[in-house]
Amino acid sequence: MISVGKIKQYANVLEKPVSRGRQEVSLSAFAFLFSELVQYNQTQVDNIAELERRLEDAGYAVGARVLELLCHREKGNRRETRLLGILPFVHSTVWKVLFGKAADSLEKGTEHEDEYMISEKELLVNRFISIPKDMGAFNCGAFVAGIVKGVLDNAGFPAVVTAHFVPMEGQQRPRTTILIKFAEELSNKIYRLSQKTFDFSSFVPEPVV
Amino acid sequence: MIMCVAVVGHQNNPLYLQSFTEADDALKLHHIVHCSLDVVDERVNNPKKSGPTLNETFLGMLYPTENYKVYGYLTNTKVKFLMVTTDLDVKDADVRSFFRRFHAAYVDAVSNPFHVPGKKITSNAFAERVSGIVKSFGPVTTG
Repeated sequence: MISVGKIKQYANVLEKPVSRGRQEVSLSAFAFLFSELVQYNQTQVDNIAELERRLEDAGYAVGARVLELLCHREKGNRRETRLLGILPFVHSTVWKVLFGKAADSLEKGTEHEDEYMISEKELLVNRFISIPKDMGAFNCGAFVAGIVKGVLDNAGFPAVVTAHFVPMEGQQRPRTTILIKFAEELSNKIYRLSQKTFDFSSFVPEPVV
Repeated sequence: MIMCVAVVGHQNNPLYLQSFTEADDALKLHHIVHCSLDVVDERVNNPKKSGPTLNETFLGMLYPTENYKVYGYLTNTKVKFLMVTTDLDVKDADVRSFFRRFHAAYVDAVSNPFHVPGKKITSNAFAERVSGIVKSFGPVTTG
């Protein structure tokens, strides 16, 4: 979990409590590492699409491992077979483990059947990043999109996941939305089965501005 | 006595296969593991009873042959763990706890950044942990 934690300094190392610790990584360490990751990839590619794809691939590897870890740690012996089960799992559990809090909202897209959006006022990875004008619509949230894609793919729900900026009135910085579009073959299998138990009362639907 | 354990990926490709008996008929064990994969697929695609057991990871005894029993466990990423044992009176709880520890060792092995998903698990630490888990498998003694 990444957070802005202050490490308490002990005068004597023998006084440190022998506990599991808070299991947090310092935000600045992660910010430095992530900025280096982006810079390294920037020197290797020629265009924006390629840079986004590289960040996504990096996130994919993280997502695959996070899924294994979380399923063992949190879920006990339950597997997720329903699409409507895996989405809240990503939205709350995965986000809590990675960023310390659940994502801001999870919405169902209105135009297509199999589109979902996870929105966040400001992605943690984008906190210290400002995109130069000439990079257009590039979003370093592609890394987080890759994480989500890794989780969904390995759980058996292939999807195309992208990150977008959505400008909001009244706020200076645009909101970030992770758009999840599930693959065609899913609409026949599990998705249809889960339609009968469709229940959105657990998350608050917000109209997308 | 556990004869062998196997980890099979989600495309039924073998990721790890380890036998623990000296008089090993390695080919026969491979064959048994391979046949059990069919049983796993059948269990997953046609759930016997819908309800609380629909999403279980622990699949239970897959099938008994003349002197072995095969147990299966399915993770969320469709990776299967199979365990072949020669014990006749092994308890359900023992097998479950065995698979739980095995799953923990597997998660640690996969979290290795140098591990390529889909390739065989080559970590020595994983092999040692699995041997440790297998050695300590057995009926839980009371008292």
